[in-house]
Amino acid sequence: MLHQFSYVAPKSREELLDLLSTDYAHAKILAGGTDLLVNIRNGTVKPGMVIDIKKIKEFSGITYSKGEGLVLRPAVTINDVLRDPTVRDYFPLLQECGHDLASYQIRNRATVIGNVVNASPCSDMAPALLCLDSQVVLASSRGTRTVPLKEFFIGVKKTVLAPDEIVERIIVPTQAKGAIGKYRKLKRINGHDLGIIGVAVAVVNGHVRIAVSSAAPTPVVTEGLPMDIQVDEAVEITMNMISPISDVRCTKEYREFMVNTFVRRLLAEVRG
Amino acid sequence: MKIRLTVNSQVYERDVAENRTLLRFIREDVGLTGTKEGCGAGECGACTVYMNGKTVNSCMVLAVEADGAAIETIEGEAVDGMLSKLQEAFDRNHAVQCGFCTPGMLISAKELIHNHPKPTVEQIKEGLEGNLCRCTGYQQIIEAVLDTTGQLTRKEGLEYAGK
Repeated sequence: MLHQFSYVAPKSREELLDLLSTDYAHAKILAGGTDLLVNIRNGTVKPGMVIDIKKIKEFSGITYSKGEGLVLRPAVTINDVLRDPTVRDYFPLLQECGHDLASYQIRNRATVIGNVVNASPCSDMAPALLCLDSQVVLASSRGTRTVPLKEFFIGVKKTVLAPDEIVERIIVPTQAKGAIGKYRKLKRINGHDLGIIGVAVAVVNGHVRIAVSSAAPTPVVTEGLPMDIQVDEAVEITMNMISPISDVRCTKEYREFMVNTFVRRLLAEVRG
Repeated sequence: MKIRLTVNSQVYERDVAENRTLLRFIREDVGLTGTKEGCGAGECGACTVYMNGKTVNSCMVLAVEADGAAIETIEGEAVDGMLSKLQEAFDRNHAVQCGFCTPGMLISAKELIHNHPKPTVEQIKEGLEGNLCRCTGYQQIIEAVLDTTGQLTRKEGLEYAGK
């Protein structure tokens, strides 16, 4: 790696937020590094300072309570989510999405919050988190604010995050009957690959929600639809919210065709 | 920045540049060249090592992040010149051709067997999905893992002929 930068690993949240309040212009947050370090190597990102947040104790761990829901902190990796018994019991949809993200070694390092903050249209964690009405807690030295994940993404790789802000937590509200749903990602191969499209269908509080990745500038999600909605109507609502493009991976038409197909299949599976 | 870590249980204290990857540190500073650089972007898994008991792509870890960590590389696999069971199974099942992917493949297979002492073929495929091999076509690698865990029933390899 030719590009040079300084490295700091703050020990506390306060130290981190202080650092960001003055040095945000040229700093980049390092969590799993599975995107950042590749981007630095490619020369697409040239930070003056890399801030490693993994030494901050309160930034690791998954907690769950009925009242608050599931809380995911910045150092929580995809494999942490896949191994967690609470997630397995109450939020199986998150594990469905996690399994499809990259490869085993990458899942050991890549973080859930990193995947969200990257705001890639093909994020694997976003469809499940969107279906489940997740909230994003942002923090800076100026204070904290909570934003629905749906409003967090504003464009390709763009979010509402201010330069001195970090995502401190993602909160997934408790679902009365567990977060039941299915995720299907279209890939060229079964193993490690970026998605051509991804569709999640979940039953949330008596409603069906459909989320799609890789088919619009951001991952997108429907409102809660009636459980007994006609399949054609659900497809139409989904098609109206996406705006796929043709690119190196496939054409716009193929994306539309496969979103349509996956919505039909997953709806049938989820409704039994 | 000064870092202190163990590689295969040996302590190393070095001054490293902040932008040095763990992979470069292992290969060039420590001098253990078993760990390979393939793509440098987390696609191929040739650089896979253990860091604090978890497999990572060492091309996507900064050496400074590994300060205080315990690293295990392929050089730590054989003990006193004796190949491990897993290495022997790779040899016996022709799971090695050019050998470039093998160090990473073995480390991933070790983690896989640790997680699933009797893995199914599906679990093997998922555990090794981050390691690309351009020679063997994977079948022999899957058989080598099954052999290690005592699950290989169809023994057709050349080494088995006449046994």
